[in-house]
Amino acid sequence: MKKTVDISLPVGPVHPLFKEPCRIKCETRGEYVLSAEVELGYVKKGIERIMRGRPWQEVMFLAERVCGICSVIHNYTFIEAVEKISGITPPERAAYLRVIVNELDRMQSHLLANYSYCYTIEHETLAMYILNLRETVMDQLELITGARITCSYIVPGGVRWDLPDEKEESLRVALDHIDSELRRFVRIFETGPFIALRSKGIGILTKEAAEAAHAVGPTARASGISVDCRSDHPTYQALGFTPVVRQEGDNYARIMARFEEVFQSTNLIRAALSRMKPGSVRGGGVIRAGAIQYRAEAPRGELLYDLVTDEYGRILEIAIQTPSIMNTQVCAHEMLTDAESAADITSIFISSDPCIACTER
Amino acid sequence: MTSIIWYIREFLRPAWISRFLTAKTEPLVTPPYFRDFPVTTENECTQCLACMMICPAPEAIVVVKRGGIWRPEITKGHCIRCGLCVEACPEDVLASGQILAIKKEEKLLISGTYHISINPKTCMGCGNCSVVCPVNREIDPSLRSSGTSRSNEVIMRVDTGQTKVFHEEKCTGCKTCEEHCPNNAIRVARVVEATEGGSHDDIHPHFRKDDPAGILCRA
Repeated sequence: MKKTVDISLPVGPVHPLFKEPCRIKCETRGEYVLSAEVELGYVKKGIERIMRGRPWQEVMFLAERVCGICSVIHNYTFIEAVEKISGITPPERAAYLRVIVNELDRMQSHLLANYSYCYTIEHETLAMYILNLRETVMDQLELITGARITCSYIVPGGVRWDLPDEKEESLRVALDHIDSELRRFVRIFETGPFIALRSKGIGILTKEAAEAAHAVGPTARASGISVDCRSDHPTYQALGFTPVVRQEGDNYARIMARFEEVFQSTNLIRAALSRMKPGSVRGGGVIRAGAIQYRAEAPRGELLYDLVTDEYGRILEIAIQTPSIMNTQVCAHEMLTDAESAADITSIFISSDPCIACTER
Repeated sequence: MTSIIWYIREFLRPAWISRFLTAKTEPLVTPPYFRDFPVTTENECTQCLACMMICPAPEAIVVVKRGGIWRPEITKGHCIRCGLCVEACPEDVLASGQILAIKKEEKLLISGTYHISINPKTCMGCGNCSVVCPVNREIDPSLRSSGTSRSNEVIMRVDTGQTKVFHEEKCTGCKTCEEHCPNNAIRVARVVEATEGGSHDDIHPHFRKDDPAGILCRA
């Protein structure tokens, strides 16, 4: 009889398939993964400590730099949190513009996540197609805000500047282009037999396990949990938002949930563009003293800002809870455990869309 | 088998073939709307220090006197290209991407009030803040290097071993004192508001050229 040896298999911290450094320690028997653990701590910035004692016009930029992939939502959540403290309501047009920029950012983040999943399962053609499509979204972000990543578009009381008609037209053209192209890519993904072999039934996260481990974002929604903070946001409620939910709970479902959310985002942007009326985009207002816990839906799940301000609007205390910490843990303890093949470790991990820079801050 | 047929169909698409044969990487051009490092325009800087007040990065923009004229200077390694200084400048001295054009069109405005707080426990009365303060230097050029002065018109000065604030309302929020304090004892709270449709002349006496109360803008 052949002797099986238990091997501790480290993946990372430097790995060609990871966007950011992190280490997965797996206990394996042959190819079978017995247990896994995610080790973090390679990109700690201590950004919450830097934020303390600073006014909004500095913290806003630091908040954006928490995460390079989903920077707009950090800006959005921080500004809405301080607005809630001070009782500032942005003008209607500014509220819709915020949704537009946020959804564009969500689209590029989801496309990047799906790119890196396709790259992980060695379907480079589709990966590069998706990455090329992401550039269209980035160009629109740059057109509206002036920068691709750190847009810094949202300020207390509104947004930095208006969206003129010619840019709106260009945005509509780009949305149609994204819709038609992405429909083709989704068909490739759905019908590709090799993709199905490496995705369907792999890394299964049951609804019970997801609820117990408090999974958030598309990872939870792909396991049949209808949880999305956008359902509680008044602007999204006005746009008729309903979360995308899938039942399978495997790698395939998580990627398809992200694809469906990109389509949902294009529809939300179209709805916001059609509802926008000309008007003011900056209402003004200064930040007052107070404390708040404010949550919003980042591309990866629920993002929470817990902050205290003083009478001059400076941030006294701030704590940020990002979605990836829940998702990486649920990935290690539920999805990776009992994986049939060591070759699936990276693809399962990437399918939960971990953002290490967010998690460690 | 289906995937092979799919690949054949995918790569026989006319769009793919024409793209494959004529693919050429377009030259990299910076689009006009890109928010690049701010550059100075022809307008005259009045040393109101609004750009230094709003700048979120440490020491990214400094207003200096070169050849008898005040000019804002940007350190590219420190600047994060947020473009707030372009919005805050009342004289349109700075430009970046389309921000200056948008600012003029939509009358974007950034206004603020400033409050100086000194922690008496950590302030050791070295006078660095009083010496580097650009408003202090304008008001009392004979301010000593120890931060002491006879004038009570300055924003702050060292008095009996402690830094005391005399005229908080003259502060322009440039936070030069903050950056030069060795103990982080002095903090300037900048309560800033972003509005539109207003004029810089209404908001801050320092921005008014004709007003005698305007200390820095007496060009």
